[in-house]
Amino acid sequence: MTGLLLQQFVNMATIGAIYALIALGYTMVYGVLRLINFVHSELFMLGAYFCYGLLAFGFGGIGSVGALAVTVAFFAVFALVGFTGVAIERIAYKPLRQATRLAPMLSALGLSLFFQSAVQVLAGPQPIRFPSIFPGTRIMVAGAVITTTQLGIVVLAVALMLLLAAFVARTRLGVLVRAVSESPRTSALLGINVDRAISLIFFIGPGLGGLGGILYASYYGIMYPTMGTIVGLKAFTAAILGGIGSIPGAMLGGFLLGFVEVAGTALLPVLSGGILGTDYRDIFAFIVLVTVLIFRPTGLLGEQISEETMVYKRDY
Amino acid sequence: MRRSHITGLALAIAAAACGIGVARADEVTIASAGPLSGPQAFFGVTWQNGMQLYLDEVNKSGGVNGHTFKFMKMDDQADPRQGTLVAQKLCDDDSVKVVLGHFNSGVVLPTLPIYSQCDMPDIIFGSNPALTQQGVANIVRPVPNDFIQGALPANYARNDMKAERAAVVNDKQTFGEGVSRIFAERFKQAGGTVTSVSQVNPTDVDFTALITQLKQQNPQVVYLGAVMPQLALFAKQMHDLGLDAKLFVPDGGYTPDLPKQAGDAAAQAIYVTFQVPPYDSSPELVDFTKRYTAAFHSDPGAYSVYGYILAQIAVAAIKSAPKLDRADIVSALHSTKLDTILGPVSFDKNGDLAGGGRVFLYHIDNGKFVLAGHS
Repeated sequence: MTGLLLQQFVNMATIGAIYALIALGYTMVYGVLRLINFVHSELFMLGAYFCYGLLAFGFGGIGSVGALAVTVAFFAVFALVGFTGVAIERIAYKPLRQATRLAPMLSALGLSLFFQSAVQVLAGPQPIRFPSIFPGTRIMVAGAVITTTQLGIVVLAVALMLLLAAFVARTRLGVLVRAVSESPRTSALLGINVDRAISLIFFIGPGLGGLGGILYASYYGIMYPTMGTIVGLKAFTAAILGGIGSIPGAMLGGFLLGFVEVAGTALLPVLSGGILGTDYRDIFAFIVLVTVLIFRPTGLLGEQISEETMVYKRDY
Repeated sequence: MRRSHITGLALAIAAAACGIGVARADEVTIASAGPLSGPQAFFGVTWQNGMQLYLDEVNKSGGVNGHTFKFMKMDDQADPRQGTLVAQKLCDDDSVKVVLGHFNSGVVLPTLPIYSQCDMPDIIFGSNPALTQQGVANIVRPVPNDFIQGALPANYARNDMKAERAAVVNDKQTFGEGVSRIFAERFKQAGGTVTSVSQVNPTDVDFTALITQLKQQNPQVVYLGAVMPQLALFAKQMHDLGLDAKLFVPDGGYTPDLPKQAGDAAAQAIYVTFQVPPYDSSPELVDFTKRYTAAFHSDPGAYSVYGYILAQIAVAAIKSAPKLDRADIVSALHSTKLDTILGPVSFDKNGDLAGGGRVFLYHIDNGKFVLAGHS
């Protein structure tokens, strides 16, 4: 029994960590621009493809490279996807900042299609094998089997989140980000360079999403052009669950969604005596989401509804 | 005198030109629809290559009854919505006399009423048993249905492996759910126990929670009614989580991608059912492989030989039909009697393969498919 619980806990932590990492990108962008960045799921996918390309062409073959090459690739992918994010903001969102709120959202949807098709054309539509970037050993603990990939994903993801939290809370740039997400107009009046803060957010959010893509592809062993669609949707759900706009909320929401999914798969058939099968997992997950939103409309750690956010809500 | 010569020559040229024109008008269009893009594109493309090969061979030898054949390839993306659009388009095109496809059971089902309305002769490839039970008269199916494909691994697991406990998982799709249900029934009939039947979403990639639960039930065999890439994902996660059971999967797993994406260690536990014997198992198949490789510069895909046979049946029906119209070709299809590379083909009253046909079971050993048994 302990083995079973531990095993399901590790399963939950792994998928939750990936959701959380991606959810951060959605929530950071929403916090500042009140924009649902639909292209984020494609940046997640690009992370895996960039990493594959770098390792395959830069270091002569993925899967056989050393830890150094993987580390270099990790930072390079963060930067590459980050700059892609910044470029997207400059080209597709900035010119629309004064337009209605629907315009940048449509722009995001269009870009999402563009990236998916571009990768499909360049790399082919078929899934490509992605060897784990972690050494593939299995560890037996108290009847549970834990792979080093799972451990590596959880450790890396949590480390990245702690880094982000420290960055936002303690650095000067972090103060900029928080100020702009609270009120762009007031920040501008106080002499803060709003554009720079927005660029910073569009660098960090997609960068983290791209790293999430590497972890995800390592975990499941494949990557394909549409891999971001479903995961992106789930991470977005996690961001709402935790309170969109809130960084700790996104982390909490990611792990919580992972927990609900695993619990749904593991417990539903047992608790209902086989009437509700594992296929009701997503329904279960969304029931939890709806219940949370009924009692806390802004999500678990969401900001209190102010006059200003109400205005934004009315715009939709 | 001279002038009349020239006139005669001109007339001859005009007649010849007309002759060519007539020959063009006599060109018969055979259409085929299957997944040419998306995860199953490899299957669809190589399947249609098989058809192309047969039609090219017939055209080269001068055609049939004075007709040559034009081949129209359509992409349904293995998506029922796209499939119905393609079906309507083919229906509305009067030059299309036969449709080969669709490829996936889930796409065949919604396209049946469309083809039925325009009386289109339809040689279907989806293997779900229910497809030929819809009361539609214009279809035949020259491929063994899933009664055979689900029964073979059940019997093999129970009788050859002496397995007693099997867990069943499917992806809720027409094909996956159907074939896994047949496996479960047959396994129980043979005296085994089915420990659980679980369903997953066709878009799921994470099965760790489910596999952890399955591990508690301690099955010796897991049957997974799904398609790629889920088959590879499931096999890999089964191995990673240490669920030490044999994994039986249906024909969608017969691709080198499966051992490649799952990893050789995980693939070692996989058994795949498939409707084609090994390509080196008979002189006819060896010869087919040679012709295919010469035409397309690659080895035949999983279903290439079936593509070839589908086209062969279509041409034979056009040949024996009294008139070149859809209704006549439909009745000619039903009375098909033909020798093919994979043996004689004829149909029962529902349009299913008479005698059921044969299915083969392959084990993946060091990344290669090795024949383990057959029905």
